[in-house]
Amino acid sequence: KAQGAISMRFQSTWPSKDIFHEYALDFGKKVNDMTGGDLKIEVLPAGAVVPAFGLLDAVSKGVLDGGHGVLVYHYGKNTALALWGSGPGYGMDANMLLAWHKYGGGKALLEKIYATIGADVVSFPYAPLYSQPLGWFKKPIQSVDDFKGLKYRTVGISIDLFTAMGAAVNALPGGEIVAAMDRGLLDAAEFNNASSDRALGFADVSKICMLQSFHQNSEQLEISFNKTKFNGLPPKMKAIIEGAVEACSQDMQWKAIDRNSQDYITLQTQDKVRFFKTPDPVLKKQLELYDEITKKYLGTNPLFKEIIESQIAFAKRATRWEQDYITNRRMAFDHYFGPNGKLPV
Amino acid sequence: MSDPALGLLMLGLIVVVIMMGFPTAFTLMGLGMFFGFIAFYDPTHLFTENKVFELMVQRTYGAMTNDVLISIPLFVLMGYVMERGALVDKMFYSIQLAFRKVPASLAVATLIVCTFWGIASGLVGAVVVLMGVIAFNPMLRAGYDVKLASGVITAGGTLGILIPPSVMIIVYAAVAGQSVVKLYAAAMFPGFFLSFLYLIYIVGWAMINPKIAPPLPEEQTRVPVPHWMRKFQAAYSNNVFVGLLTALISPSKAMVIDTGQGRLTYVQLIKNFAATLVPFILTAGTLALVWWYVVIHQQAGPEAVYSGLEQLGTPGLGSGPATPAELGPPQGFYLWFGIIAAICVLLQVRYYARLDADRLQVIKLLSSSIMPLGLLTVIVLAVILFGITTATESAGVGAAGAFLLALQARTLDWKRTKEAVFLTAKTTAMVCWLFVGSALFSGVFAILGGQALVEQWVLSLNMSPIQFMILSQAIIF
Amino acid sequence: MNVQRVLYTIDGISTWFGKAAAWLIMILMTVVCVEVVKRYLLNAPTAWIFDLDNMLYGTLFMLCGAYTLAQNAHVRGDFLYSSMRPRMQAALDLVLYVVFFVPGIAALIYAGADYAADSWRIAEHSNVTSNGPPVYHFKTVIPVAGALVMLQGVAEIIRAAVCLKTGEWPSRLHDVAETDVIEEQLAHSEYVDDESRKIAIERAKEIDEVARQRGMGGDLNT
Ligand code: NA
Ligand code: NA
Repeated sequence: KAQGAISMRFQSTWPSKDIFHEYALDFGKKVNDMTGGDLKIEVLPAGAVVPAFGLLDAVSKGVLDGGHGVLVYHYGKNTALALWGSGPGYGMDANMLLAWHKYGGGKALLEKIYATIGADVVSFPYAPLYSQPLGWFKKPIQSVDDFKGLKYRTVGISIDLFTAMGAAVNALPGGEIVAAMDRGLLDAAEFNNASSDRALGFADVSKICMLQSFHQNSEQLEISFNKTKFNGLPPKMKAIIEGAVEACSQDMQWKAIDRNSQDYITLQTQDKVRFFKTPDPVLKKQLELYDEITKKYLGTNPLFKEIIESQIAFAKRATRWEQDYITNRRMAFDHYFGPNGKLPV
Repeated sequence: MSDPALGLLMLGLIVVVIMMGFPTAFTLMGLGMFFGFIAFYDPTHLFTENKVFELMVQRTYGAMTNDVLISIPLFVLMGYVMERGALVDKMFYSIQLAFRKVPASLAVATLIVCTFWGIASGLVGAVVVLMGVIAFNPMLRAGYDVKLASGVITAGGTLGILIPPSVMIIVYAAVAGQSVVKLYAAAMFPGFFLSFLYLIYIVGWAMINPKIAPPLPEEQTRVPVPHWMRKFQAAYSNNVFVGLLTALISPSKAMVIDTGQGRLTYVQLIKNFAATLVPFILTAGTLALVWWYVVIHQQAGPEAVYSGLEQLGTPGLGSGPATPAELGPPQGFYLWFGIIAAICVLLQVRYYARLDADRLQVIKLLSSSIMPLGLLTVIVLAVILFGITTATESAGVGAAGAFLLALQARTLDWKRTKEAVFLTAKTTAMVCWLFVGSALFSGVFAILGGQALVEQWVLSLNMSPIQFMILSQAIIF
Repeated sequence: MNVQRVLYTIDGISTWFGKAAAWLIMILMTVVCVEVVKRYLLNAPTAWIFDLDNMLYGTLFMLCGAYTLAQNAHVRGDFLYSSMRPRMQAALDLVLYVVFFVPGIAALIYAGADYAADSWRIAEHSNVTSNGPPVYHFKTVIPVAGALVMLQGVAEIIRAAVCLKTGEWPSRLHDVAETDVIEEQLAHSEYVDDESRKIAIERAKEIDEVARQRGMGGDLNT
């Protein structure tokens, strides 16, 4: 043990088998390595100290020194928190939304929200997540009408979105979804990605997964520290933490590409899951309904308006640049791996 | 002392401290507070700012929002209402009559009633005690062996905690994050199998050594067939099924029979005929439900082709068109279903061919004492096990059903309703405060690093699940 | 004698709140049944039922904690305890109420009040459903239940002190007990003969008696 080493107790909002918990452990290890053991972060899984949805309270009050989760889990404290994660992100993907957070004014706005709800935390949104599936169903969704009468799980402002589509929606933490489907509390649910969904056991309770959706097209994970604890750290250590967050953010994306693509195959071969593309009319309806929902919240929550204006201003410029500059890679994919694709070797 | 060592000390202390007889909920809470206080101790802060107080509140809120536990008060209420609404003595009497030709019929009836209350209630209820006092004296008077008489009552009495619905199982599911449904399914078989083994044991022992359970005197096994039924049999047929059917078509001979409370009416004929149909309806209904569940309900599964949708994934990787095995019910289902249905038909034919007044009277007694509650409990459990509804939903409907049955039987008054409600409150509070106490305890244990330590230890043993099971059994005993 | 009146008053307060909260089970049962009809027959499930069920159940068991304590119905590990003399039982109880009980329940009152106040201040709503119902009322149950349990705990500490002095547990208010059903059932039984019934009622009383002494820490005032 290095001399004067600091220990911190973290908890994630994920069960230990979820790849998200692995990302949390990766962060702990990165900090430990970068500080040469001067700052040790021990990460416990969801429920070990407090329930997943109780993480913010626990970190804010100092029961935990920090946490690993997502911003939308605190949706009940202030609805605007859902804007880091739920929704179509005005055309931005999760990484672009992080660009807005760092360079487009998001960070200051997030601090403002946390101040209004009295949360004493220092928050680092990081780890941009890839587009999340529409979810796992007993029967595929062929039109928006199929949501009527469905008990469905999602989180954050997506709750409003799927409610508007006709479902009865309950938010549950990731680790409780499959058990809830198993005992009949839910008919259908979404969580996040091939690796997490497979590890949590979705394939045991459903054989149909619908891919592509706008409900959480730009979500990030969040690392949070108790404010007093964080501010008590020497400046050098704070800088290391900030660096470690950004390094882990990138590593998470690389790891996700590698692991999600493997688990996607395993889900098809071993677990016999059938994947379908969400029909375009459903996707289009999501965009329309999302705009109606945000309009409703504009009046009730002044921060909501401020954040959306900031996001739109950034997205307008960034997505135009992206759409114009970046070649659509579908052509290359078809060229090599499509039905008539040819490989040079 | 290091933190994980403190955690282990805490775990070790628990056994000692619980033995001191203080309410367990507060014992766990107290240990959690004490060790949590040390874990969070910060010399720069006042003791009132120790974070363990916050943790206590947050864990309590966690227990208050744990949706797995919601079914506990509902199952408990259902049990208390049934205890107060049921006619336990009539239940025992009618089952004893139904098994009057089986050796050790009193002991068999005791065991069956206890098994039934095992399904009906989530705890070891007072009814088991009641069964003891109702059945014990008759058994002794009939000359039963004392060991047999007391053994069957105590063995039967503890079945309730094993057979679902069990409050213990719900709490375990909530603590360990396991599926209630799977735990129920897992406990179901051993519970009933144990009851079945007891049954074999009692009957076998009584057959080998009839002295331990002498047959009951004739007057105790005589079925109280109403007097008019004998006249009715003389007028029509000794087989009451045939007789009643005939009488429904040509009732003139029946209408002149005096029942003691006036002439026999056509309505009474219909009621008695309906009673003869009960065994048939139960058998046919069960078969139909199995058919519905396996063939109709399951078929809405994944085999269908969805034309409007674009299927994704690597072509040819596993999930091609469904194989016949995935289509519809498992192979062999139709064969087995056919065999079982044929056996049922044969048994029914034999039964109806021999349906005399005694048997009809037993059916009527069973239908009015145990059958309504029996059906209710079986349905409540089945819908959970087959994943049709949640445990909470089915417990809620079960409790309401118990109220309706008790009202219909006119056994429930305002006083008993209040009793059931207040007892439910006390039992629920007892169980759930225990959960609060253990939630704080386990939270502090995790903070001290005890959880990680135990996990590492278990993983380092590198055992197969079976080896681990043997080891844990060895530790528990 | 005055002490006994104080004890009964506190028991009475706990019992009144507990019995009032006990009726939430009937509301919970009704809500669940209505939702079953809506979900399975009308194909129109309700999202906020999840919150409502939780709140009914959570409020029920929290507010009944003091009532249960007043009836000494919290389960005890009574292998040794039940064979101790009352003075020994009282001595243990007295120490453990102060060491184990008071800190945790004090936390519910003191930190629980803060916890609820924070929730009121930000008008916290459930994050489980769309436009979820407020949760600040529900969180307020924590300090309220804590205060009730603490009050009852004071009564229990007084009981233990009295027992230490007199060697006898002070009595409790009478309430419905699990075993009451035995006498009720026997009283109405048609199929149990008189002799068996008489023996049975005697035995039931005996069993009841044993159950009460086992870890009851004080007889009921019957
Ligand atoms: Na999601
Ligand atoms: Na049971």
